[in-house]
Order: sequence, then C-alpha cells, then structure tokens
Amino acid sequence: MTCRPQYVQECKCPDEVMNCIRETLGECLLEMELRERMDGMPRRVLYRDLWIRLKRDGFLKLVDRLMEIDFLHFHVMSGNDDGDVVTLNLHCSLFREAGAGHRLGVTLSIPIPKDDLVFPSLSGRIPGTEYSEREMREMLGIHFEGLQNTDLLFLPENWDEEIKPWRRDETGPAPENIRELS
Amino acid sequence: MSAGSHKTYRIPIGPVHVGLKEPVTTWLDVDGERIVKATVRPGSIHRGIEWMARERNPIQVIYLAERICGICSFTHIVAFLRAVEDAAKIEVPIRAQYIRSLVLELERVHSHILWAGVACYTFGYDSAFNLGMLLREKVMDVLEALTGNRVNYGVGTVGGVRRDLTPRAAKAVREMIEFYRREFQTFLDVVTEDPIAKARMRNVGVLSQEDAVKYCALGPTARGSGLRVDLRHSSPYEAYGDLGVTPLVPQDYNGEVFGDVYDRFFVRVMEVIQSLELLEKIVDGIPEGPITWEPKLPKVLSALKAADGIGWGIIEGPRGDDTHVVKLTKGEENVTWWKVRAPTYANAVSWPLMFKDQEIADAPLIINSIDPCISCMERILVSDARAGRSEILTRARLVERCREKTRRLMGA
Repeated sequence: MTCRPQYVQECKCPDEVMNCIRETLGECLLEMELRERMDGMPRRVLYRDLWIRLKRDGFLKLVDRLMEIDFLHFHVMSGNDDGDVVTLNLHCSLFREAGAGHRLGVTLSIPIPKDDLVFPSLSGRIPGTEYSEREMREMLGIHFEGLQNTDLLFLPENWDEEIKPWRRDETGPAPENIRELS
Repeated sequence: MSAGSHKTYRIPIGPVHVGLKEPVTTWLDVDGERIVKATVRPGSIHRGIEWMARERNPIQVIYLAERICGICSFTHIVAFLRAVEDAAKIEVPIRAQYIRSLVLELERVHSHILWAGVACYTFGYDSAFNLGMLLREKVMDVLEALTGNRVNYGVGTVGGVRRDLTPRAAKAVREMIEFYRREFQTFLDVVTEDPIAKARMRNVGVLSQEDAVKYCALGPTARGSGLRVDLRHSSPYEAYGDLGVTPLVPQDYNGEVFGDVYDRFFVRVMEVIQSLELLEKIVDGIPEGPITWEPKLPKVLSALKAADGIGWGIIEGPRGDDTHVVKLTKGEENVTWWKVRAPTYANAVSWPLMFKDQEIADAPLIINSIDPCISCMERILVSDARAGRSEILTRARLVERCREKTRRLMGA
C-alpha cells in the first residue's frame, strides 16, 4: 500500500487514535500505554507518547491504518536480544505538522521469535526506514522481507556476517572478538 | 558502466582521514560533470558507543553521549537525559529546564553560524566565511563563561543541570544578544544579497517537499523543503512550551519554496535570529528554584537502579531531531541498552536525491547542505574502469573546482 506523502494539518485526539488501534489490531494488541510528557511553568502536559506492544501478524495492518490517519514519520528502530525473542521497536510520529503540542510519538514494539527472525520491510511504504532496517539486519540479524538493499551499513565490508554485534547469545561477539573498548 | 553512448565514472568521496569528526563515503556515478547517481556508505567511524554503554551506569553514559558529536554535544546529552528521566519517571525542576533550553539555543547559534560560514568557504566566498567565524567567537566565549568549556560543556545531569545561571553569565548572554542584533544582519546581507552566492545555492541539491516527507527528512533540511516541522513547536520539551517557537520555512519570507541549498541556508541564518529572541525570553523569564531533582549522586544512582522501563528522548537539535531510547532494568546498575539516532542518520537517506543531475563542482556544497558531522573531505578518486586509469583529486583540488564554478559565474 502507498500513502500520499504529505502531513495532515489537523490532529485527532489520542483516545481516538487508541480506539482505532484497538479495532485494527484486535487480538494482536498485547499492551498499550499513553504517556503524558509534562514540562514548563506551570507544569502541564506538552505532548504525548503512545507505546504499543503487538504481535508481528498485526504489524502491517496497523501501519496501513495509521498511514490513513497521517503519513507516519519514522524516526528510528531500536531493538534488543531478549532471550527467546528479539524485540524490535519502531519509533515514529503522527501529526508532525498539525500544530503546537499536537505531535503524537508512537512506538511499535514487536517480539520476533529467534527461530523465525523475519519481519516485513517498510522501505516500500516509507523509504526513510532503509538505514534502520539495514542496521537492525547487521546488528541483530533480523531479515527484512522486501528490503532491496542489504549491503552492510555501519559494519566494515570485511565483517564476518555470522557475528551480530548486539545479540547476547552465541551469535553475538565472543570475548576474543572484542578489543578492550570500555 | 555506460549510459547510452556516454561513459560514466564512479567517484568515491571519502572516507576521510583520522582528523575528521565523522567520515562518510559517497559514491558518485558521473557522466562528464553531471552526477547520474549517488550512493552513500557511512560506517567509517562507527565506534560502538551504544554497545559500550552496556558496561556503564546512566551517569557514566552522559559523558559518552556528550562525545558523540563535538558540535551538538549538549543536544545529545539532553536527548539521552530525557530518555532516562522518562524511563525512571524523574521530574526536572523548572529552573534546570530553562538552563537546558538556554544552552541548547546557544549551541544552535554556534552550530548554524559555523555551518553558514563553511558553506560560503566551500564556494569560494572567503570574506563571508571569515566574517562568519569572527561572529561565531562571541557565542563560544559565552558558552565558556557559562560552563567553563567551548565544547563538551559537562552541564547536564540526570534530573537537572550541574551549573546554575549566575547574574554574570546572564549579563554575558544579554551582551551577546545585543552584539548579534548589531552585527549578524551584515553577514545575512552579504550572503543573501550577493547574486553570485545566490546563483551557487539556488536550484542546487533540491529536495522536494514530497521526498522530504517520504524520506523522513529532519530539521533545517525538512524546513528548507517547506515542511513546518520543529519539535520545539509540535512537542515542546524543557522550557520551549513557555517560549512559543514557530517553525521557520522559506515560503513565509520569500513567498515560495525551492527546497534547495539556498533555502536550507536561509532557514539556518533566520533561525539564528529566532534563537536570539528565545535566549532573551529565557534570561528574562528564568524562574528561581533548585537546579537538580536530587543533588546527592548516590541517591540518583539508587533511583536509577530501581527503575524499570524504556524511555524515549527526542529534541530538536541544530541539524534536526535527535532521538535517544534507553532501557533500564530494575536491580541493574548499568544501562540495559541504548539507541542513538543523530539527525544526519536520517537526513543522509535523502542525500542521493539531492545529488541527482547536479554538477561535480556542486557536490561539496550539497554534502554540506544537510550539515552533516563531516568537517571536510579527504580526496576524490576518479577512475575510468574501461581504460583502467585513475586520478586522485585532493580535497584542495575538489574545493578549487567548486570555486572555479563561482569564478565562471563572476565572469572572471
């Protein structure tokens, strides 16, 4: 699915967005939290972040639904080796151009089982995700289905691709691989 | 490689030598002087900083974060601190928020003036470059008076700041504001009113508004393409909610937007003037009160050890939004993981679009136009794969080529 690359000028309230997410994800929604960020004088809510934990199966459906609300601005992916799963977090924004205090930070957090470390690429929908997908591929070993450019991004050309620097299991760097960095 | 009957050459710009802040390689496929395609390959100076943080507690990571970049060092630590404070639910006193905003705006002023001066140097306008560097010294002096350092100020800490704004430092800030209001307009005029400078920047390195959205462009790069995006406005943090920031876009001043190097230049120099207004509001309106949530470091470390969760800090740095994400685990002293996304990481994705159909002579200007953390380029290797020839162009030769174009435009 492609979405018109422009931002909406009017935002929806967070409750409306959360209801829309609940309807779209159904059983794929694992957890949702709205954080209100308070600053300034007097202390007041100046913006909000939405944290959503979901199953992989609901991911593309949710992205397409969010893209109907506003073009999803992508910031970066973070991730961690959490034992049996690698958790991938996509940090994004809605309502980036919709006025003072209206941006809504959106984090999509998806556990991916290590025995099936595959995830759909967003680079066709949001070309700005390419660097992050390449970084997560080389650092955590996630295979992004549909990612055209799988060249190494930050690691050197002669890097042994069997070693995934951010993994904490046997695929991570062994002590003998590491020079004293600390 | 060939394009029709034309022979194309592949030119690597970079990677650079150890003296540079953040080397990057850009491969340009050229047909004569025209760039057909560009490929960016970062990674030459990946230091594994995020990995190193796993062995450090959040207070120690502040000093790692401060060393990610020499220009926007405070931007990085505020983004990191906000992520930690989000994860640990720590509330920062209002006076500390004003001081953070003060240093952030001083950093923006010196970063933008540095960039604008270097852009002028790149296309051979040395008198404007020298004027820019002369002007920048004033804000560097103020940063030194305020913090003791010209770079890596060591001001931020979890839950506040480590240095208060003294009446003497506040006076130095006020004098600096007056100085720039007197002197900065000259710099603005000599560049924006100069027909040759304008010719070198106008319609060069264009990024359309549509591509800026698709490729997730940030900061002055996005605003230069006409997008009204600025985190100080859309999600105010620290004292910005009290200051009232409006995103600066070229169409509000010039009636239209080109999305070229000139528009990116224009946005940055106008943002210097905007920062002066913000600095004045900060100095006039800073409230009294404590500057830290908890002055005793063992208590802070204890609270951080008890915290459990992921925090997200995102702020508008000079080059665009800077994102830090931190995971703290209850019972563990060290950061579990930390992700840093500097603005160049995002803006570099749209670089190849800016290079397309441009001249080699404009390449240094286009590279500089997103204000990457690259101070200069080392060399260019021009290779003719068919003939098996290669020629090394030094950085000096590359800059000379850029300047030759300016001389041609001047008719000299």
